[in-house]
Amino acid sequence: MSANQDVTATTNAVVDSVVSLNDVKVHYPVKEGALQRVSGYVKAVDGVNLSIPRGKTLGLVGESGCGKTTLGRVIAGLVPPTSGDIWMDLSATEQESVQRLRGLDQKKMSAEDQALWKDLTSAKRLGSMNKDRQREYRRNCQVVFQDAFSSLNPRQLIRDIVGRPLRVHQEASGSDLDGKVVELLEKVGLSSQHLMRYPHQFSGGQRQRISIARALALNPEFVILDEPTSALDVSVQAQILNLLVELQAEMGLTYLFITHDLGVVQHMSDDIAVMYLGQVVEYGETDQVFDNPMHPYSKILRDSNPTLEGEKSKREWELSGSVPNPIEPPHGCRLHPRCPVAAAGCGWSVDDALRNAEEKSPVLFETITTVERSNDFNAKVKFAESQSANDFSSLVKSSVASLALAAPPEVQGDSVGLRFNEVPDASLQEIMPGRWTSCTRTQELGSLPEFSNTGKKKEDEK
Amino acid sequence: MPDSNLLEVKDLSVHFHSRRGTVHAVDNVSFDIKPGETLALVGETGCGKSVTARSILKLVPEPPGDYASGSITLSEDGKPSIDMLSAPIQDVRAVRGERISMIFQDPGKALNPALTIGRQVSEVFGEHRLDMILESAGIDPAKASRLEIRVAQQRASLLQLRVFELTRKKKAKALQKSIDDAVAKALAETGIPNPRKIMNSYPHELSGGMKQRVMIAQALACNPDLLIADEPTTALDVTIQARILELIQEMQRRRGMAVLYITHDLSLVREFADRVAVMYAGRIVEIGPALEVLAAPKHPYTQGLLGAIPHRRTARGQLAAIPGSVPQLVSPPAQCHFASRCKWAAPACSAVVPSLNLVEKNRQVACLRFESAGDVAVDAADMPVSAELQEETA
Repeated sequence: MSANQDVTATTNAVVDSVVSLNDVKVHYPVKEGALQRVSGYVKAVDGVNLSIPRGKTLGLVGESGCGKTTLGRVIAGLVPPTSGDIWMDLSATEQESVQRLRGLDQKKMSAEDQALWKDLTSAKRLGSMNKDRQREYRRNCQVVFQDAFSSLNPRQLIRDIVGRPLRVHQEASGSDLDGKVVELLEKVGLSSQHLMRYPHQFSGGQRQRISIARALALNPEFVILDEPTSALDVSVQAQILNLLVELQAEMGLTYLFITHDLGVVQHMSDDIAVMYLGQVVEYGETDQVFDNPMHPYSKILRDSNPTLEGEKSKREWELSGSVPNPIEPPHGCRLHPRCPVAAAGCGWSVDDALRNAEEKSPVLFETITTVERSNDFNAKVKFAESQSANDFSSLVKSSVASLALAAPPEVQGDSVGLRFNEVPDASLQEIMPGRWTSCTRTQELGSLPEFSNTGKKKEDEK
Repeated sequence: MPDSNLLEVKDLSVHFHSRRGTVHAVDNVSFDIKPGETLALVGETGCGKSVTARSILKLVPEPPGDYASGSITLSEDGKPSIDMLSAPIQDVRAVRGERISMIFQDPGKALNPALTIGRQVSEVFGEHRLDMILESAGIDPAKASRLEIRVAQQRASLLQLRVFELTRKKKAKALQKSIDDAVAKALAETGIPNPRKIMNSYPHELSGGMKQRVMIAQALACNPDLLIADEPTTALDVTIQARILELIQEMQRRRGMAVLYITHDLSLVREFADRVAVMYAGRIVEIGPALEVLAAPKHPYTQGLLGAIPHRRTARGQLAAIPGSVPQLVSPPAQCHFASRCKWAAPACSAVVPSLNLVEKNRQVACLRFESAGDVAVDAADMPVSAELQEETA
């Protein structure tokens, strides 16, 4: 990831950010058995670098399970990151210093840098900042959750729900509090008559308004909107979206808009980050990303989304198979096993060959007895009989993965030796000003690779 | 014969009796579906679109539901026509899954978590393709014993099944094989890789997209004439949604069946439907060819719905949201239900129920702006601005 950071540091377009993330990871342990032994980690968020510019809206899109909600929760401080740093309120120069100093050994820094680093971490880094700053961060960063049915306590009055943050932060109490709550309710299009009601007495749209009022109670700078309209009908959704835009202009808010709805994100955000399997695969200005996607996944996502305008979508590119297991994500580019334009350098490994065998020829897959792997790219696959070994070898040769083989599969009696070229994990890189992609082929070519049917044909011949 | 209708719904009203009063969930809804066409029924939450769809298969529970009026006629060349609402329950059961079948919104909830996929899909064959199953197992359907029939129908008790398996090993094996073959074939047709393995797995082992494929396989197993798809992709991701919709379309092309497609998403309508019916508060407000309706909506609600869809052309914060919210349907007044949210509303709108009138070729709209004062018996001064007038001034 170090190459990645260098690029960030040299970009001239660095502006003040409300929140910056450096290589943030969230791994959840998978526990097994009676002793709850940790057998692996679900890599919900795996190395995300993002900075959210002040006063703008950043859209975060991706399909379910890609880690977008977890990322939102990490930023809100609701989930501690497994590794990586979250910084608040960095000016452009501070961002550069962070990029420069991060990863350096503190002892080897100059005295000046050491002092600077100490200042930065104690004042701006989530986790190491002092308590008051932490409190300030929590005030400044609020969340509106997806489901307004379960995020409002059904046993509390609206007055208590919306007034709660004010009370916690000792902003107001007594009749003063009521006045402030009414003010907030009016801001979101409700009124004082709603003060003494319970959440169940409201419609979905009104409940989402209450959630928004609660989030705005402490005058935050930054609001994380986690699918705020996905439970709403389109006419009500339009009301809420309009309200959010209005409030943003009025209060100078910065939004992180998390959604799976491409129409909404296109309408609402200045920049978007596309996530796939725990990583940001493309980042750029919204219109540019939609007009000219620089990652196969973004392109497929865009083309799958039905629209009311333009030609009926023609979809040549398709994702094959289903989302891989986030416990053992694919090597190289995480999309490559499903990617229509995957090539030799995309990170094929032994697992891909095995998965392919399981899909294409389950009977053959059953005859595998052991897999001895020296690492993820080199392994010896053993079969019950030598015929299966030959079949497996020809199956591997006929797949796209064969392009990445360092040597042709070695058949020795009942075992097949596979040796793939080792490929480093793909990272987000800037390929033109403001456009970031993690697709290694696009990074080489400077544009999205051309789609040809060669890979498919090979399989068809088979 | 493209002019004949496959399904005719006439003046259908479905009420629900509740403690607060009678809910008019579906109110005088009429539409028809021709063989092979795709009709989309569009509307927001609570507008009655799902109840309408379920009524077609008579799946609304009674009580609290109540088919207050109307008829749903299924007619087809060579087969007797049947009114689903008045027909005896055996006849209705014969239609379900055989001539009309349905796929539901959430495949996770619609599949039984306690049964394997193979077992669930095979129920359709037991119900509608008993002869086929028996024949391919080498049993003459006319001479089949009751036990054999019960086993083929999957209705045999555990004890009966055990006895059958022990006493007539060969027949039991043949029957099981014939059922499995039929199921595997049905699953394979929907593009499920490795159907034999999927058959032995339980719903929780499959992904959402795969579960929806199983649902489709089950629904299409008997070659129905009409498939009712109730929000088949709402629970799915957008890339999977595209694949499932294409699958439905392909199956439709291959089998020439009609599809009634229920959705809240107008952009899907454009890509997948021939005609669209827009529902609001229990009534159909507009019907017409999908592309025409989307290009030039006539009813104020359809216009509002289209304006509310966010896309990049509209300036941020300028979405044309429809003010207010959907009215309560408990004992609703006799008026246009959209009147309280409509910018054209006039006194007459709160006094008269607008009827669905043909305003152009193939296009029907239920709005007083397309009617004359004389027809609805109100004062001309109370009428809303007529649509033609408005167009002229614009």
